[in-house]
Amino acid sequence: MKLGVFVNDYKTVTETVGRLTAEKLGLIFIQNGVFHATIKENGKSSYLLDKSANFYVLAEDLATRGLTDADVDKRVKVVNYGDVVDLIFNEYEQIIWI
Amino acid sequence: MGTLTIGCFASLVGSKSLDFALKLSKAAVDKGHKVNIWLSSNGTMMGKANQKHLKDYSTSEKYVKELLEKGVEICECEACALARGIQKPEAIQGIKWDAMHWYLAKIYNSDRVLQIGGE
Repeated sequence: MKLGVFVNDYKTVTETVGRLTAEKLGLIFIQNGVFHATIKENGKSSYLLDKSANFYVLAEDLATRGLTDADVDKRVKVVNYGDVVDLIFNEYEQIIWI
Repeated sequence: MGTLTIGCFASLVGSKSLDFALKLSKAAVDKGHKVNIWLSSNGTMMGKANQKHLKDYSTSEKYVKELLEKGVEICECEACALARGIQKPEAIQGIKWDAMHWYLAKIYNSDRVLQIGGE
């Protein structure tokens, strides 16, 4: 299954998301989930970025938090709402919100 | 082009998740997709008319009306709304009122479904 997952929090959902597997997995970081793409705690990136997955972060939610593309880990692609629509219809068969 | 149905069980007006649902809907419609929105639980607040737009406080009525004009179908869970003291005459014009079967039928006929849970 090709599974797209909206990750909207930094602390509370990490363990659940970390356990997800799929034939093709996409993690779309939105709202406070954008910190997975930007924060390094004790020099370490979010362990979600070590998963075998494609990573995306919503530009508008970065900007709302005073972050820019330059703050984003190189493994993560910055996308806008239109790009998210294309991901939903073209890249992933199932979409879930965590 | 496809059909996207979004179930909004998320929180009250001002919620980041409701904002996300509305903006995603607009982006999908602007790309030529069909969008349905089911408002349930506290999400029914999004369908109430006469929301006052305050500076730096997110409200949804203007956005909802814009989506209705673009052909997005929005339906409020009648029981959820009534349980929260919202009467049908208080709803934004153009929003449907129905029961869960409306949502299930839309899901059945959609290419993609996104259910946004409560906060």
